[in-house]
Amino acid sequence: MIQKAILLCLVLILSLGTLSAQKCDLVLRGRVLHLENNQPIEAAYIWLSESATGVVTDANGNFMLKNLCQGQQTIQITFIGHKEIKQSIGLNSAINNLTFKMEEESVALGTVDVHGHREAVQTTTAVSTLYGEALLQSRGESLGESLKRVAGVSTFSTGNTISKPVIHGLHSNRILILNNGIRLEGQQWGAEHAPEIDPFLADELTVIKGAETVRYGPEAMGGVILVNPPALPTSKKYATELNLVGNSNGGAGNVAVSHAGGSGKYPGLGYRIQGATRRAGNIQTPTYNQGNTGMSEASLSGALGYSSPKIGTEAYYSFFTTELGILRDAHTGNLSDLLAIIENGAPFAQADFTYTINNPKQVVTHHLAKLKAHYHLNPSWKLNFQYGFQQNNRQEFDRRRGELNTRPSLDLELFTNTAELILEHNLKSQWTGSMGIHLIQQANSNVPGTGVTPLIPNYDLLNGGVFVMEKYLKGALELEAGLRYDYRTVSAARYVGKNLQEATMTYQNGSLFFGGRYQINSNWSFTSNLGTAWRPPNVNELFSQGLHHGAAAVELGDANLDSEKSLKWVNELEYEGKRSTLELAAYANQIRDYIYLNPTGETFVSLRGTFNVYEYLQANAFFYGLDISGTYSFTEQLNGYAKGSIIRAKNTQSDTFFPFIPSDRMDWGLSYSLGENPDQGKNRITISNVLVAKQHREPEFDLAPAPPAYALINLGYSKKLKLFKNTLSLSLQVNNLLNSEFKEYMNRFRYFTADMGRNFQLKFNYQF
Amino acid sequence: MKTLKKASLYFLALLAFGFASCESEDPEKENEGEVITDVTLKFQELNGSNALVGEILSFKASDPQGIEVGKTPTVQSISLTKGKNYQMTIEVTNSIEGEDITQEILEEAEEHQFFFLGQVFDSSFFSIQYADAGGIALGVKTNVTVSASTGTNNSSMRVVLRHDLDKNFPGVSNPNFANFVQAGGETDLDITFPVILN
Repeated sequence: MIQKAILLCLVLILSLGTLSAQKCDLVLRGRVLHLENNQPIEAAYIWLSESATGVVTDANGNFMLKNLCQGQQTIQITFIGHKEIKQSIGLNSAINNLTFKMEEESVALGTVDVHGHREAVQTTTAVSTLYGEALLQSRGESLGESLKRVAGVSTFSTGNTISKPVIHGLHSNRILILNNGIRLEGQQWGAEHAPEIDPFLADELTVIKGAETVRYGPEAMGGVILVNPPALPTSKKYATELNLVGNSNGGAGNVAVSHAGGSGKYPGLGYRIQGATRRAGNIQTPTYNQGNTGMSEASLSGALGYSSPKIGTEAYYSFFTTELGILRDAHTGNLSDLLAIIENGAPFAQADFTYTINNPKQVVTHHLAKLKAHYHLNPSWKLNFQYGFQQNNRQEFDRRRGELNTRPSLDLELFTNTAELILEHNLKSQWTGSMGIHLIQQANSNVPGTGVTPLIPNYDLLNGGVFVMEKYLKGALELEAGLRYDYRTVSAARYVGKNLQEATMTYQNGSLFFGGRYQINSNWSFTSNLGTAWRPPNVNELFSQGLHHGAAAVELGDANLDSEKSLKWVNELEYEGKRSTLELAAYANQIRDYIYLNPTGETFVSLRGTFNVYEYLQANAFFYGLDISGTYSFTEQLNGYAKGSIIRAKNTQSDTFFPFIPSDRMDWGLSYSLGENPDQGKNRITISNVLVAKQHREPEFDLAPAPPAYALINLGYSKKLKLFKNTLSLSLQVNNLLNSEFKEYMNRFRYFTADMGRNFQLKFNYQF
Repeated sequence: MKTLKKASLYFLALLAFGFASCESEDPEKENEGEVITDVTLKFQELNGSNALVGEILSFKASDPQGIEVGKTPTVQSISLTKGKNYQMTIEVTNSIEGEDITQEILEEAEEHQFFFLGQVFDSSFFSIQYADAGGIALGVKTNVTVSASTGTNNSSMRVVLRHDLDKNFPGVSNPNFANFVQAGGETDLDITFPVILN
């Protein structure tokens, strides 16, 4: 009994003693980043000398040390090619959060690479990136189709060759596409105008799901797509990649080659050239050919860069050209033509398979050149300059009489200059940020001689913006805020008949955002971003006045439209475990003065027949939804994935639904790896299932009801081989295995034809 | 340092060039080459030996602004005599540009065709045959027979011009082919003329 009491007393005294003298249950959590670009450093070594304990950072630069004692400690962080950090830290609270930034060693070590100055996405918004294996699987597809692999992204398409990415229900001028850091400026206002970019130039496609107007300028309302080529080599090495893709449906084929190299003589000097072509014939539905749906496309890009510890420069050029056939029967003369084909549900013309592209068709070319430079004023401050020049030519040909058939009915030439100057700081303390000015100048001209009154006028646009952003980092916590002001003037002119029509409009707007990211523990993280965005009306929304050729619609613009203003809140919860990953994003987007094309219910009668009349109106809109994606490893061999998205969009003024909002959809699949080392995925069979619900939330007026729900089954087999010491990837995919006939609500040609039938695809990728 | 200065100078020059070259062209007037503003149906009587006799009767549908919102076309009533045979010729013009589109239609006879529908045919008041040169089915020239006994004096005829159709589609050789949309192509004209029978 006494013994027990003594023991108890001893324990009490001991524990009291430790409480008063030294508490050894503290936790230190931290993050190690590159000072230059805030990219996480993986495998940096952390050592606490007093506690004699160490740890290595994970892929996100995070580390955690437990059971530390209270008091002063010396922390030492080392990573190859970087200056060692050694400092004294005071551990007082139960959980301590710290961020460390490592500076690159300025003493050039013969064996160490000069760091490639690749820009990282610095945002606290929900971000999804397509790269590596997933990007390889998407090779041969258009940008829109490739991005469908990201939960929350769908496409708004016109047939099977024209597809525009949709982020959280918004597309065209409500999202932004960046080609290697330059805002892609084409004629994106058109529903049937696909982005003028080839995803083959990228080794990474990133989707930012938040309102990012502050960072990227007006129109980034629904989100931003970054199409990023690989970083240029900075040392003597060569990399060549060859891609070949063949499809049974449409007899489509791609050839893509890229080559990058670095100079041995001049360290830091690197180059890359890349080219790709695609040719396709008429698309086949399960039962018939879609007449005149062939296409031919070519792209070319090149870059030359030089990096030194102080300066980085890059010159970049990309060229894109495409010729797209438009389904012949989708081009209708008047309303009764249109209604007849809709009632038929399929094209009348029985088309044979051919590669020939006839009218109606689109011919588009796009040039983009950029010059970029940055200069490190000191280890913490950096000056960035970027200039971009773009030329976009778009010609649209209709079926016309006589000599006019060889002339385009729409012929536009668009020049865009963009320039930005940004001062960035990345202080050793918790603060990083940037401020800058951003200029856009644009000139649009109708090339005379079309024989048609131009759909949009000639115009000159000037947009100036200034912005400032600041981010606070403390260990697992990141907080960010930004502010921007833009001013835009547009002066437009055109002839309608013999009358000159002129107008000048100015728009100005401020935007701001707040965001945060918290690493809850090594598995869970949470981001939240609240941002405003705005979009001035497009020229077509302001000035359309007359027949939309081929669409049997008369569209009326309104020169008095206001800018759209939105407030978007995106939250994302991410889990990364040993066996599973999960991404859950929820968002709400309130848009004031949302511009939409509304059927007036009236018809217009002419000698050509009757047409529906549509007008551009504004109303308040509310979008909200959920994206889910996750993976799970059942065994080393068997892996599963699932992703899905739900969007709700409403006109809150009239309590009605908008047209062309994606219906609920999900995609899930299983993959099984054969052979030894299943984790390397050398031999893999994949089966997946796409489920798309019927859009029950239809607008009050539509030419045809929403098509029924559909399910597709896809099957794939991929194999990796060693060929002359390098990796050769081969894959065979069967899409729409059961050759199901379906129509997609988001395809504008659902009125006229069934979607694409079964497709066998063979892919070959060799990197050497 | 000197080369750096030079380089930046070139760079600035390039920039200035880029921004200066970027100005929109002055707009130009477009000749609306495709617009049809006037469609005239000309009737002349055919006698028993198929010879043209009597005066030419003209009935016109016109829309002087072409396709422009807010203006409706004016369509004259066709006035013919019961029990007679007529030769009908169609003239299509663009009065804005002073162009004769009939000529273009004749040149591209393989891609064009007129169809004749409406109550006059449904009630068998009219019967019509293509009478174009070369025996083709085009419809710029037709023979129209007006029934001697019609229940009513008022009726209507719909004239449709199709472009880019499949002329080998079954049924297309019939000028009253109501399912012309099935032969593909698109509509250039779709006019309903009131018909008065005396």
